[in-house]
Amino acid sequence: MGKIKIGIYELTGCAGDALLILDCESQLLDIFQAADIEAFLMAKSDNSHGPVDVALVEGSVTTEEEKEELLAIRDRAEIVIAIGNCACEGGIQAALTASENWSKEFRQVYQDLKLTNVKPIPSQPIDAFIKVDYYLPGCPIGQEQFLTTFTRLLAGHPPELYRFPVCMECKWRENDCLLNKNLACLGPLTKGGCGAVCPSHNLPCIGCWGPAEEANRSAEFKLLLEKGFDLESIKRRMAIYAGTTIVDFFNQLKKEKS
Amino acid sequence: MKKTISIDHLARIEGNGSLIATIDGQVVTEVKFLINEGPRLIERLAVGKTPEEDVSLAPRICAICTLSHKNAVIRAMENALEIKVPPKITLLRELMHLGEFIESHSLHLYYLALPDYVGFPNAIAMASRFPFEVKIALEMKQFGNHIMKVLSGRFIHGENPVIGGFGRYPTKEELMFIKARAIQFMPFVHKTTELFCSLPYPDIPEEETIFACCEPGNGQYGLWGDEILVSTGEKIYRDDYPKLTNEFLVPHSTAKRSRYQGRTYTVGAQARINLLGERLKGEAEKMFRRFYNDRWKRNPLFQNPAQAIEIMYCFERIPEVIDEIFKYPQDPGIVSYTIKNGKGTGLVEAPRGLLIHHYEIKDGRITYADIITPTAQNADEIERYCLLAAQKLLEQGKEELIKDRLELIVRAFDPCVSCSAHLVEVRKIEENDWPKKLEQIRATNPIIIGLGSLGHGDDEAGLLVVTHLKRNGYVEAYWEEEVIDDETFWTKAEDHPIIFVDVLNFGAEAGKVTLIPLNHLLWNTSLTHRLMPTLLAWLTPEMIKKSYFLGIQPASLKANHLSSPVFEAIKKIVNGLKK
Ligand code: SF4
Ligand code: SF4
Repeated sequence: MGKIKIGIYELTGCAGDALLILDCESQLLDIFQAADIEAFLMAKSDNSHGPVDVALVEGSVTTEEEKEELLAIRDRAEIVIAIGNCACEGGIQAALTASENWSKEFRQVYQDLKLTNVKPIPSQPIDAFIKVDYYLPGCPIGQEQFLTTFTRLLAGHPPELYRFPVCMECKWRENDCLLNKNLACLGPLTKGGCGAVCPSHNLPCIGCWGPAEEANRSAEFKLLLEKGFDLESIKRRMAIYAGTTIVDFFNQLKKEKS
Repeated sequence: MKKTISIDHLARIEGNGSLIATIDGQVVTEVKFLINEGPRLIERLAVGKTPEEDVSLAPRICAICTLSHKNAVIRAMENALEIKVPPKITLLRELMHLGEFIESHSLHLYYLALPDYVGFPNAIAMASRFPFEVKIALEMKQFGNHIMKVLSGRFIHGENPVIGGFGRYPTKEELMFIKARAIQFMPFVHKTTELFCSLPYPDIPEEETIFACCEPGNGQYGLWGDEILVSTGEKIYRDDYPKLTNEFLVPHSTAKRSRYQGRTYTVGAQARINLLGERLKGEAEKMFRRFYNDRWKRNPLFQNPAQAIEIMYCFERIPEVIDEIFKYPQDPGIVSYTIKNGKGTGLVEAPRGLLIHHYEIKDGRITYADIITPTAQNADEIERYCLLAAQKLLEQGKEELIKDRLELIVRAFDPCVSCSAHLVEVRKIEENDWPKKLEQIRATNPIIIGLGSLGHGDDEAGLLVVTHLKRNGYVEAYWEEEVIDDETFWTKAEDHPIIFVDVLNFGAEAGKVTLIPLNHLLWNTSLTHRLMPTLLAWLTPEMIKKSYFLGIQPASLKANHLSSPVFEAIKKIVNGLKK
C-alpha cells in the first residue's frame, strides 16, 4: 500500500491553522515523511491538484471562486476535514453573515468599487456547500488534537474528538472556577479541546472554540444568568466565535428551556 | 487638490495573493499584485464590541503576526483609555514581540527565501543538501514559538496579554530558560546573519525609495514607538498616521493601498535597518558595519539580510530584557482601569513592517476602527519594483529571468507565508487588446492630450490625433501647448481621466499601439522622460491613478514625413475615440 495522500487547503481565514501545523516543528519532518503531502500552499510550491485521501480545509468561504475551489476539493478527496473555527462555523467574519447586513457592511468598506479579481459573498462554513466528514474545532485548532487525528488517519482509523465543554478540562486541571471570582467565563458553553488555556491563565474563556455541541447547555446558561451576568453580553460574546451556528445555538437553547 | 478616501476594512493579506505582469513588445505595461483573499471586514466586526473583546478579535486578522496585532491593539486601547502600565509589563510585551520576530524572520528566511537562492522548491526538499541549516532553523523558529507561548498562552492567538497587563506572569524559571537558550543560540545566529548578508543578491531592480518605520523615541533600535519616522526626515505623531498612509482602493485587490505624498514607500526590516541601523549595538552593530552599503537603500531584496541582522538584534536583546524584568520581582497583575470615551492609535513594527491600529470608543463600545497592515502599505511598492525589474530584464534581453526575479522580489517583502509560494504569472499581449480597453475608458469621458513636436517625422503623431479629433467634434481634446500653463484647465480636469497620446519607443514594429496606466509609466524611468515634468506637476495622485498613456511605436523621429504605419495607427485611434 502506498502512503496516504494528504492535501492542506486554505480558504479565507488568518492561516492560523495551517501555521499551527507548521508549528509542529519536532514532528514536521516526520509528517512530511509519513504521508504524501500533495498540496500545502504555505509550505511548498510544487502543489498538485490530484486526488487525495484526506483533505484538511482551513478558512471559510467568502468568494464565488472559493466555493468553486471547495467543490473541486470535495470531488477529489476521500475524506474532508474542516480545520478551525472559520471552516467549521464560518469564523469571526461570519458574524456579519448572520446579521443579514452583509451588503451594507460590505459597502461601508468598499463603497461601490467593483472588485475585478474576486466575487465576494457573505462568509459561510464549508459545510454550507459540501459534505464534511470530520471537524477539528478551535481558533486555531489545538496541536494535540491535530497530531492525534493525523496519527489515527495514518493508521486508517477515524478521528476521535472530544465531546465536552472547556469546563471539564478546567476541572481536570484543578483550576479555581472563575465564575466564583465573578468573571464571566464562557467555558461552560464552549467546546473543549484547548486544555482550558485561558482559565488556566486566570482569564475567562471567550469561547474561541465555538459553542459546545451537547451537554446540559441550558443548565449551564442558567447558571451564568444566576451568577448575575447579563444575557445580552453573553449573547454578544458567544456570537463572536460562533459564526453562523449562533442562530441554531440559541434556538436550541430556547427549545431545551421550554 | 488631494482627496483621501478613508475606508474601514481589512482583508487578510497573507494567502491567496498573486502577481501578474503584462508585457507589450519591449514594454511592461502593467504589474498587478492581486489579493484574492475573500473580504473579512474585520474593522466592521470590531464596531459595537467592547475594547476587551476587540483585543481578542483583532489579532485574528493574521496568525503570523498575531502578537504584533495584539501589541498594537493593546497600545491603541491603552492610549484611548489613558492607561499607564508599569515597566515590567512593557518589558514582557517586548519579550513576546521579540519572540514573534524570531519566529517570523526565521520562518521567512530559511523556509521561504533560502530555497530560492540555493535552487530548491521548498525547505523540506532543501533539507537533503542543507540538513544542518534546516534543522537549526526549525529549532530557532521553535524557540520563537516557545517565547510566544510562554507569554501569550498559546502558539497562535494567545489570550494572556490583555489591556493593563497579563493574566498570568511567567515564572522566574521560564524566563531563565529563555535567557539561557537565547545565549546558546548565538553561534548559529552568527552563521545565519553571515549567510543572509552574503548571498548574491542580483542588482535588478535597484532604485531609491522612501522608507517608514516607528521611531522608538529613546535613541535606540526598537520595535514600537509613538511616532512614525519617514526617510524624508518627516516625523508623524501616532494619531496623524493618515499623513503617511492615505489609503485608497484598487479594483484588483481586497486589500487597501497606501501612498505617501503620492509615492510608494517601503516598510519592514529594510526600512528599519536603513532608518535605525546606526543605533544598533553589540554584534548586530558589527554585522551592520560589515555588510551595510548603499544598495540596501535601493534594492528590495535586501529585506532579507536586514531581517537577518534583526534576528541578531533580537537574540542580543532578549537577555537584556530579561535581566531588566528581574529587577521587578513583583507581578503587577492587571492594572485596573475605567472605560471612558476616547480615541487611540497604537503603532508597532510587525516583522513585515509598520502596523497601525486606531479606535474610537464611546459608551464602552468601539464606534470606529482602522487597521493598516504592513503588506497593504508595501503592495504598491511591490508592484513598482516588479515593474522596474521586468522592464530592465526585458531591455537586457533576459525575458526568461522575469518570472523568477519577480517571485524573489515579492517574497523578499514577505507578504505572508501562503501567498509567497507560487504566484507570478507573466503575460504577453499577443494581439492588440488596446482598442477594447480604449473603448472602456472612452465611456468615462476622458480628456485627450496630444504630445509631440512638428517637423520631426513621427513625433507629430500625438498632435495629429488631437487635430483629427477636434475636426470630428471631440470637445475634450487638446494639444499640449494649449493646456500646459492653464491652471483653470487643470482644476476642471481633476474629475476626468486623461489620456496622453504620444510616440513611444517600446521596441515593437512601427505603428504598434500600447495603452499603459500612467501610474506604471511613471515608475518606468526609461520611458517617463517623454512626459514633460511641467505637465506632470499639474497632476494629483488621484488623477495619475485613473489616467493613461497611449503610445505609438514610431518608425523614425528624423524623417520629414509621417511614416505610413504610424499614419494608420492614428486613424485607428481616432476611429476608436470619436464614436
Ligand atoms: S479559525 Fe481562527 S486560527 Fe483558524 S483561520 Fe480562522 S481565524 Fe485563523
Ligand atoms: S477562549 Fe476558551 S476555548 Fe479559546 S483557548 Fe481560551 S479557554 Fe480555550
